[in-house]
Parts: sequence; structure tokens; C-alpha cells
Amino acid sequence: MRIVCPFCGERELGEFTYLGDAKPVRPVAGASEDEVFDYVYLRDNVAGATSEYWYHGGGCRAWLKVARNTLTHEISSVEPALGAGAARVGA
Amino acid sequence: MADFSWVSRSPLEHALVTGTHGARGVEAGVSLTEIRNFDLIQVMARRGQAAELAKAAMARFGVAAPDAPKAVQTSDATLIWSGPDQFFVLSKGSKHTMQTLAPALSSPASLSDQSHARALIGISGSKARIMLAKLSSIDLHPEVFPIGSAAATSMDHTSVTLWRGGNRPDGQALFNLLVFATFAESLWHTMLDAAAEYGVDISHSEELA
Ligand SMILES: [Zn+2]
Repeated sequence: MRIVCPFCGERELGEFTYLGDAKPVRPVAGASEDEVFDYVYLRDNVAGATSEYWYHGGGCRAWLKVARNTLTHEISSVEPALGAGAARVGA
Repeated sequence: MADFSWVSRSPLEHALVTGTHGARGVEAGVSLTEIRNFDLIQVMARRGQAAELAKAAMARFGVAAPDAPKAVQTSDATLIWSGPDQFFVLSKGSKHTMQTLAPALSSPASLSDQSHARALIGISGSKARIMLAKLSSIDLHPEVFPIGSAAATSMDHTSVTLWRGGNRPDGQALFNLLVFATFAESLWHTMLDAAAEYGVDISHSEELA
């Protein structure tokens, strides 16, 4: 598998580290115990389109959001995670 | 308070043995030259200040700092892309140090002195690209990676900054490599192993190529 880093170009998987699901959103302060439990522990085991965080630690050290299909390994988009490369994403 | 005197030493001073290595009876296909005693400052834009940094860098260096994987030559320094909104300033002779760069750049950027945190190795020779192909997945063919190209990448699981400098006087391509000081010896041995079959010419220099 290769990932096209928006900053570096196409690179081998070995330069990247997987963080996890990019879908869960941190609950607001004062959220219910169920919401927090869900955020911290519960993950879907998706067969199909997923959104994941990857870290280009062996390259430009940017955090990336990768849209990937777990059935085909096809990557449909790679974008900088919020805050990575302020000039590029206008953060 | 006690007085300390700090002596800077090359991280390769034990591993690097000048002379020839590997295949004998052939003209060395790979030249490895460690460059010693350089000034290296990393400049990273503060959050939301990338445009201001670009402006300040232009005023300071007279050329635009790289905003993509490139190495840019100024009159007395090389600016090397090291990631989004960040670059290295590589120079000699205390022209661009923390003291001299901070007034110009520290408002829009964080500066950190990496002069003693990296080893700098110049790689050239007729077999340089073939040797590097054993260690790097980057396509270094001159059509893809011409003079001024740079990459933040990994070689032998070690993060490096790799860029193609100007050609040597004999027309050979020159690849420059910055590697963390503590990983330099390991990567050096890996490169020697990869280059041995072509014959290696080993040296060190005080001059930036
Ligand atoms: Zn990258």
C-alpha cells in the first residue's frame, strides 16, 4: 500500500503510522457517560469506506486524514488533518 | 559557576575512515563525504503565520523559501524544505545562526539550532544513484529528481532530509543527506555496505558543496 502525502507525494507504507478512526468526535464537556464511553471505546469494524488518521513520521511529520476502502484498499482521498500545514489548509 | 568548554565533534568521527572501501582495482563508483562544522537552523512557522514567515524569509534571504520539497540556493545559504511551513537554513561561518536569524524570523516562526543534531553527508559518483536505490524508495532519476529537488523521507527506517545539490565539477550528480546525529553511524554503515560492491571513496570536508 502506498499513500500520496499531500506535501511529499507518493510514499511507501513504511513511512507512515496508523493512528485510528478519524470519525469519532470528542464529546462536549458535560456529555453523558454513554457518549464518552462510545467515544473512547466503541469502534465500528467497517467493511467498506473508512476515514482514518495516518502520521507521515518517516517523512514530513504531518498528520493526514485518509479515506480508504477496507475491502479493496483503494484510497480515494488524502488530506492534511486539521492544523497540519497551515499554509495549505488555511488553518 | 564552573566554566565549561564545549568541543563539537563529528558523530561520524569513529565510523568514518578516510580512503577507499569495498571493491578494489576499480575506479570508486561512490564517493561519500561528510561535511563538518556547518550551521543548521530549523525554521517552523507559528500557527497561522506561514504567509508572514514567507515574507520575512524573502526579506532576509532575497529569495523565496521553499514551500514544497525543494532546496533553494541563496548567495550564502541553502534553504531546504523539511515539512509543511518549515525549512532548514544550512550555511557556514556563522552567517546564519540563531543570533543572526532570530531578529528577522522569530516573530512569525520558531527557530531551533540543529547544527550539532545532524550529520551532513554528500553522496556522488557514477554509481551513487544505484546505491541509493537500494536504500530509498524515492525515484532519483534526474528527470524526476533534478537539481534542487528535496525529500523528507526514510532510509533504512531512519528519517533523513535528502536533496540534490548542484553537480560536481566533473558533472556527476551530488546528493546531500541530513541525518540525526545519533543515527548517523548506523546509516553510514548501511551506506558503506550498499556501496561496497562499487568501490567507495571516503572523505570529510569543512566545505559545503
Ligand atoms: Zn509527507
